[in-house]
Formats: sequence, structure tokens, C-alpha cells
Amino acid sequence: MVTFYPRSEQFPGIEDMDLDAYIAQYRRECAPLMWAGFVLGTVFFHLTPLFTVYLPLPAYALSDEDRERHAQRLVSHPIYYVRQPVFLLKMVAGLLWGADPAVRARLGLAPYPADPGTWRTS
Amino acid sequence: MTHIAFREDDLALEVDYVVVGSGAGGATAANALARGGATVALIEAGPWRDPADYPSSTYGAMRDLFDGWGVGIAKGRALWPIVQASCVGGTTVINCAICVRTPEDVLLGWERDLGVGAKAWREGLWKHQEALEVELCAEVVPAASAGRSNLLAAKGAAAVPYDGHPMTRYVKGCAGSGQCLQGCKQLKKQSLNLQFVPEVMALGGTVLSCAPAERVLLEGRRAVGVTGRFREPVTRRKGGRFTVRARKAVVVAASVTRTAPLLAASGVKHPLLGAGFRAHPGTGVIGVYDEDVDMNVGATQGWASVQYRVEPGMKLETLSIPPEMIASRLAGAGAELVARMGDYRRMAMWVVAVRAEAVGRVKRGVFGEVSVDYGFADADMRRLRKGLALLARTHFAAGARRVIPGIYGLPYDLGPDQVGLIEEGPLDPRAYILISSHLFGGATMDRDPARGVCDEYGRVHGYEGLVVADASVIPTTLGVNPQHTIMALARTFAGRLLDA
Repeated sequence: MVTFYPRSEQFPGIEDMDLDAYIAQYRRECAPLMWAGFVLGTVFFHLTPLFTVYLPLPAYALSDEDRERHAQRLVSHPIYYVRQPVFLLKMVAGLLWGADPAVRARLGLAPYPADPGTWRTS
Repeated sequence: MTHIAFREDDLALEVDYVVVGSGAGGATAANALARGGATVALIEAGPWRDPADYPSSTYGAMRDLFDGWGVGIAKGRALWPIVQASCVGGTTVINCAICVRTPEDVLLGWERDLGVGAKAWREGLWKHQEALEVELCAEVVPAASAGRSNLLAAKGAAAVPYDGHPMTRYVKGCAGSGQCLQGCKQLKKQSLNLQFVPEVMALGGTVLSCAPAERVLLEGRRAVGVTGRFREPVTRRKGGRFTVRARKAVVVAASVTRTAPLLAASGVKHPLLGAGFRAHPGTGVIGVYDEDVDMNVGATQGWASVQYRVEPGMKLETLSIPPEMIASRLAGAGAELVARMGDYRRMAMWVVAVRAEAVGRVKRGVFGEVSVDYGFADADMRRLRKGLALLARTHFAAGARRVIPGIYGLPYDLGPDQVGLIEEGPLDPRAYILISSHLFGGATMDRDPARGVCDEYGRVHGYEGLVVADASVIPTTLGVNPQHTIMALARTFAGRLLDA
């Protein structure tokens, strides 16, 4: 996820956000199928650098530059079923990154209030 | 006034009518039945969220309002998400409340081809729509809350030129907060959790939320009730069993993707149950302007064109989406993607919804999730390309510097002299990121029981006391947003039940 939305001059990166807490929350709250897709997408991402950047290493062992190149090649891969699992990772990461108060501030948007997660119980 | 949310113990009720689903069809049908003096129980799978409960972020909307996090997909050569809500009020909570009367040519086609909707039926439908427009305060988007994206679309269409117009929506005094998709916290959108459902309760009805129906109870060929188990919305833990007996009829309006599987699981037999699924799949073109557009300021959807509804068959409209959705919509990864997000304030997104010829089938997924087999025809892809190219031209006519087509195989962005690339773009649906919206079918109307599941009053052929009152009965695409049609159909069907 850090590979998709790294820190830049203009924006904070996802590494500046509480990524662990977000993943824990996502795991707790999302539909089981979405979590399964997320896990499979992550495994797929880590096992495929050999086919994108031609290095026999898992993605986590690559340099930042090679990992970014790997991510770029996956999201633009000619095979649809290669692009799709990675798209899911990118989407889940984007939900955190794009909603971050600092990112929204750079885009001229007020921070989101907390999502209450409540409902009418009686 | 009775509202029963999740509970641990079992519940048994008996009423005149049980209505499954509280969206546009179910809430309207329940409301009409309650106004007619009947006792009604309205059963909703999702929780009841009031505006104070609404989320603000897209993550929160997916978690709290979308059916199964929006994980339902239409599967063909490509996988396209199906977006609908699971909460009291249904998709009326998360849509833009767009109000368009059912086009006459559509209804004439139904009469000609299906024997459904003779003149009096048609006129009755429109009369209901007239009344609904008054009751739900249908209003043209005020210029003051339109926002720049909508104004640019109007300017671009006028320059191309083709016809466009500010939308009419069930929104009373739009505040332009750009939060339609997360539920309107300003209380301006007249979603049915705020309108018809409370009235059902005020008239003595009972609302069950967090209560997914598992089966319609049948005694022979007669529907006599509904049963299911309460489900806690966060943990999805199951609670007590509810059984609601219906003295007169069961009305099923659980959505296009849920109604047919529910009927099938209940033992309703019809070879066409689940068949005839249709949709208006859509995707967008992003224009990038020199000045800030701030598309999240103003009505989320405020401008549309129906000039090409009949030929070639598409609707054009604006759609503002927040940064966290744009972040995954833009191509690329890493520093390149983040740099592209720097243009967000100068972006405007406009979409084409295709009136697709393709026909699919709704079924229950392996894990009980929404599942639809739906392949796009080449003719539909040609419509899509045509619509996207027209949107690109509209952006340029409105002053965009470049457009982002979001089509795999094309450059990330295009200039004014490159629009032809979109028109000649791939016909493979896997090259596009589409969303299946405006769903129809699965239990379609036809006077002939061999050709349709329901008759023109939503009554399931061959069964007594069993009525479908959502978009499942709609036998063709409409080419316009369906909420107004669904509500008018539900009112028509409820009226017939009361007359009987």
C-alpha cells in the first residue's frame, strides 16, 4: 500500500498514516470476500516481481524504486486478471490515503468528521 | 409506532401485508398500503441509519450503507461492481434522487411487445409520478448550489452543441454539500428513510430492520408470510428468528439482485426467475481544467442530457466523486499516481450510462452474495465509446485543457485532437472500469406467464398473494434513472392490492 501512495513534495504518503490500525479495522469490518481478495492480492503482489522487474525476490525485499516499478507494471499489465487483484489493493489503500485530513487539506477540502457507525436500535 | 431492530429472541407477527425491502419500491408500496388502511410490516435487511448516523467518507459509506461493501459484481468478460444500498430507505439513501418520468416510448413498447401497460395503466403511472413529485418536493437543481462541474457541463453541451438540462431531483433546497453518495446529512434529499418509512410507522405499521428475509412462506401456491433471522450489522452475528404472517399478501421489493434469489430460495418455480437482467452500466471521462473546479462543491449530480437516450441509447450526466475514489480510478502507482492526484481540484468527472442491449441472469452467489452473469455486447461497447468521446468533446468545449479517459491501452490523458482515439478505442469491456447501475429485471412483467414472471400488477404468475414491487419487474432498460418509475410502479401495484 505504501508503494501505491508514497510521500511526495505535495502530499503525505500512506506511510505517514496509521496504516496498521487501518488494516486491522478493515479486516474487522469488511465483508469476508473483500478480505479474502485483499489477502490474495497482497500475496500476488509479493510473489510476482520475477515476471515484472525480472528479479527473483518477493516485493517486500525489493528496493523502493524496483517495488514501484513492479507496482506500475502490475496495474498496467495487459492481462486483466493480473490488473484486477492489484486494483483491489490500490482501492483499499486509496480509501485511506484520499480520506486523510492532510491530503484533503492539500486539496482544499475540510477534514471528514468521524464516521459514527451508529444506527437506530429501537 | 413500532420499529424493531436486531434482537436476540424470536418474533412472530401477523399483519395484512408484509413488504420485504424498504427501498424505492418497498417503502413506496408499504406506504401506499398503510395509507389505504392496511396493517403493514416492512422488513429491511440493513440497519436504519438516520442522517446523524450517516458516514462522511467513502470507506464509511461502503461499510455502513452499501450492500455487502459493494462487493456484488456483474460477471462477464469483465467484472463490474454493482452498487446498491442495504439500509432502511435502500438505494434512495445513497443515490442522487434523480427524478425522471417514465418515457412514453418505453411504455408503448411494453404494451406492444409484452401486453403490459394499456393506456389507462400508463396514465395511472404518470399520475402517480405527478403526485410523487409534489410529495417528495422534486426540484430543479438551483443554480446557486449547482457547483462548477455542473455549470461547465451545461456550457460544454451548449457549445458542442446538444441538449442538456439541470436535473430534477427529490431534493428540497439543495445545499450543494456534494455528499449525496454518503447520505445527505443536510436533510435536503428526500430519501425514503426520512419520508415514506416514518409515515408507515405513524399509520400503525411495523418496521423490522437488521432483518434479512430468508424465505417467503408458501402454503401450496399461496404466499402467507416471510421468515428470516435478525443480523447484527457490524459483526453479522445472527439473532432471533422473525416470522411475519400476511393475511392478504406478501410484497417482495428486495432489489433486482435480491428479489429473484429470495423467491427461488422460497420455492417459487418459474423458468424465467432471475432472467432478463438489464442495466445501464456507466463510466466517466475526467476533464482537467486550468482553473479549480472543486467538483465536490455543489450538487453531486446536477446536469444531464437525454438527447441520445433512444439513439444510440445513452444518458450523459455529471458525477462528482471524492479524492479517495479518484485515487484508485486514476492509472498508475507510486510517485506518478500521487503527482496525478495533484490535479484533483481542477478535475470534473462526467459519465455516460449506456442503455445496454445485453441481457444477464441474477443468481445467488456461492457465499450468498450478489451475483449476476452479465456480458456486454459489442454494440453496447460502441455506444459506450461514442458516449465517452462525446463527453471528451464536451469537456474541451467547456474549456478543459486535457481529458483522462481511463481506458486501458490509451494514453493517460488526451488533448483535443486525440478524441478520435476514444472513438476507436478497444471493444473489450476489460479495458474499462465500469459500474453497473440502474438495474432491471429478474422477475419481469409480461401478460403471458410463459414469457414473464409477473403480470402488469407485479403479481407472480401462478401464485396467490405474492407481488414483486421493485425494479425486478421492469422488462427493458429505460434510458433514464429508474427511481421515479419504480416508485410509481409500486404505488400502482399497491393500489391494485387494496382494490382487490
